[in-house]
Amino acid sequence: MTKNILLAAVGGQGLVLATGILAEVALRAGLDVKTNDVIGLSQRGGKIMGSVVMGDKIHSPNIAPQQGDILIAFEALEAKRMLPYLKDGAIIIKNDYEMAPSLVQQEKREYDPDIDSLLDGKGEVIRLDATAIAKRIGHPAVANILMLGVAARYIEIEDEIWHQVIQEHVPPKSIELNLEAFDLGKAGTY
Amino acid sequence: MEKRVITGNQAIARGFYEAGGRVAASYPGSPTVELLEAIKDYPEIYAEFSTNEKVALEVAIGASMGGVRSLCSMKHVGVNIAMDPLMTFTQTPISGGFVLVTGDDPGMSSSQNEQDNRILGKFANMPILDPSDAQEAKDMTKLAFDLSEQYLRPVMLRITSRLCHSRSIVRLEEPTEPIYKPFVPDTASYCMLPPYTYEAQHRMKDKMAELAQAAADLDINRLEHRSDEVLIITSGLMYHNLRSVSDEISVYKLGLVYPLPIDYIKQLAEKYQRIIVLEEMMPFIEDELKIHGIACEGKNLFSFTGELNIEDIELGLLEGGVLTEAKYAQLRPIETTPRAPLFCAGCPHRPVFDILKKTKAITIGDIGCYSMGLLYPFEVLKTNISMGASLGMVKGMRKAMDMNGDHQPLVAVIGDGTFFHSGLSGFANLQYQMSGEENITYLVLDNSTTAMTGGQPTSGSKSMDGAGQSILLDDVLKSMGFTDIQRIDQFKYKQAAQIIGDAIKRPGIKIIITSRPCALHFKIREPHFYVDPKICIACRSCIRTNCPPLRMKEYEGIGLKSSIDPAQCVGCSICAQVCPVNAIKRFGDEAKGGSDD
Repeated sequence: MTKNILLAAVGGQGLVLATGILAEVALRAGLDVKTNDVIGLSQRGGKIMGSVVMGDKIHSPNIAPQQGDILIAFEALEAKRMLPYLKDGAIIIKNDYEMAPSLVQQEKREYDPDIDSLLDGKGEVIRLDATAIAKRIGHPAVANILMLGVAARYIEIEDEIWHQVIQEHVPPKSIELNLEAFDLGKAGTY
Repeated sequence: MEKRVITGNQAIARGFYEAGGRVAASYPGSPTVELLEAIKDYPEIYAEFSTNEKVALEVAIGASMGGVRSLCSMKHVGVNIAMDPLMTFTQTPISGGFVLVTGDDPGMSSSQNEQDNRILGKFANMPILDPSDAQEAKDMTKLAFDLSEQYLRPVMLRITSRLCHSRSIVRLEEPTEPIYKPFVPDTASYCMLPPYTYEAQHRMKDKMAELAQAAADLDINRLEHRSDEVLIITSGLMYHNLRSVSDEISVYKLGLVYPLPIDYIKQLAEKYQRIIVLEEMMPFIEDELKIHGIACEGKNLFSFTGELNIEDIELGLLEGGVLTEAKYAQLRPIETTPRAPLFCAGCPHRPVFDILKKTKAITIGDIGCYSMGLLYPFEVLKTNISMGASLGMVKGMRKAMDMNGDHQPLVAVIGDGTFFHSGLSGFANLQYQMSGEENITYLVLDNSTTAMTGGQPTSGSKSMDGAGQSILLDDVLKSMGFTDIQRIDQFKYKQAAQIIGDAIKRPGIKIIITSRPCALHFKIREPHFYVDPKICIACRSCIRTNCPPLRMKEYEGIGLKSSIDPAQCVGCSICAQVCPVNAIKRFGDEAKGGSDD
């Protein structure tokens, strides 16, 4: 059974690390896996997306429109942009944190007001201010791992594998904080 | 056998290691930056980011002639820079295997054009390999070295941006024993002047013909027969995208996309009713088949530009009558506010472009993070062509304008990375046949790193292993004879604005070097700033600097005023300095306020 996971973020939010962890977790669970990171020229500030396709035998790392099972959106507006790629009834994990694009900052456009209603019309939405929660427990940068914890509820892979892979992928001095963030996301007790 | 899930870039690096490769050179450019960085993890290999792609290629050529397996990687447009040595090197019989990795960018996710470098590979008489995932990227890198040594050809490994960054599972193997073939001087082989070049033409042609004969038997060229109606000839990621659409169609999957096993494909054309070529960008394989009289379709069904995703391929096959039923929906985007990239919080380019916007001078751009100065809301840069192009262009534009009586000032910008990449010869040329009256102001944006590609060192910072002498831009320009040179701190906003404004008014060539380092790469973080909404007059001077943490916000009982997201602010102070009423202050510094210190 193939699982199509999409990730959306603004450059600098740790999306590439998150797709890397998902890929490694799938490999250790004995699955075939392929991923994309489409980062364009955004070191920082531009829109970026990732995809992780896991299952028995995977051909393309790409996910066609209306084929996504799970969306992990690190920023609210970027969640909306990915909706055309989701199946009806998809799991949508949405960080409420907003980052204004230039057009909004310069007051040429409103920050899209219809995000939540569109998400609700598409699938099962799990909302959280991951950036604020991450900041509360130690550092806003672990918001990405916190959101992976939420996603882990819908990916049947044991916690031990997640923990091991996270430990190997994050800086040594932040291992504990990242594991705490993951467990918090998984349990939903934030 | 150990399995890892790695990117295409990492897989090529691993393949080079397993092939016993010993010297690698590159110039950083998306999508292949990470490749050389991954090679650096193998201590047995000498790896360097050279000053530009031409120098990188020459380093790798020298290593190959010197008798070891060598690799050179660059983005697609980088090959243009390296084309001169490549076109002559390719005439020589290879000693140590030589592989050129080109990172093509269908869809231009991070490039100024969409050139298809398979054309250049053919032009240079190089075999071209096109992997479809990370495992193949590793396997084909190893095969490329064998082919290079067997057929005496430099080999092109073409990989697209999607695959460079795409991870998939790879089986690791032990490295083979590295070769070493001591250099034996041989004028006819290595000194490319007539008459030695005459024989070289025949050698190239004969070796490519030999490989074309052998190509049908290579494992990487694989026929997957399903039915006799249609045969799709494809390569790279297109194979997997096609198989995601259907497993019922016959496919001839090419690993070697040039030279093609033409005789074998002619036999296939007899057997199948229709031949359809599936490839991104140019009709390269399609044209090769047509040149050889093989009837086929291709670009009548699939776009000549952009990536071909699963649903695009399905649509083409539906329109071509190969499929009768759609499994996938076409993309229907929801209207969403666009999000263009922008300068980071604390970026040293921000005050420069804020100042330049206010001068209204025509400004010639160059390639780097600062290219984003052409985007909304700055829209300062009026041209963007190629690395180092601003130098020749601003001179030519100046001459054209002056001869028509238009003497308005011209400004140009170049970064330190681009300065050392290809700016040196442009600067050397800038003073030649100039009267001294022509008004050109050059801003050299020295941030001490190649920022856009993730912070590789430049010759002005230090060599990649941290050793070696760094070259001071100012000294280089002085020794070239420029006299009007100033180095400024652009975080002293008013002073910088004054110096830039004065320079633009003066005749002659003025050079201003800005000196603040890249805030992202050097992780610069000072205490953050905040807006006092009671003082703020909502003039939006700060907002216009386009710094990510800044946004207008409704304060209860006060109204719409500026605000700063403390999580994003790195404390550069530019917003405070452009504020006319001192409403923006540094956190923990209430008494002092923002200042032009």
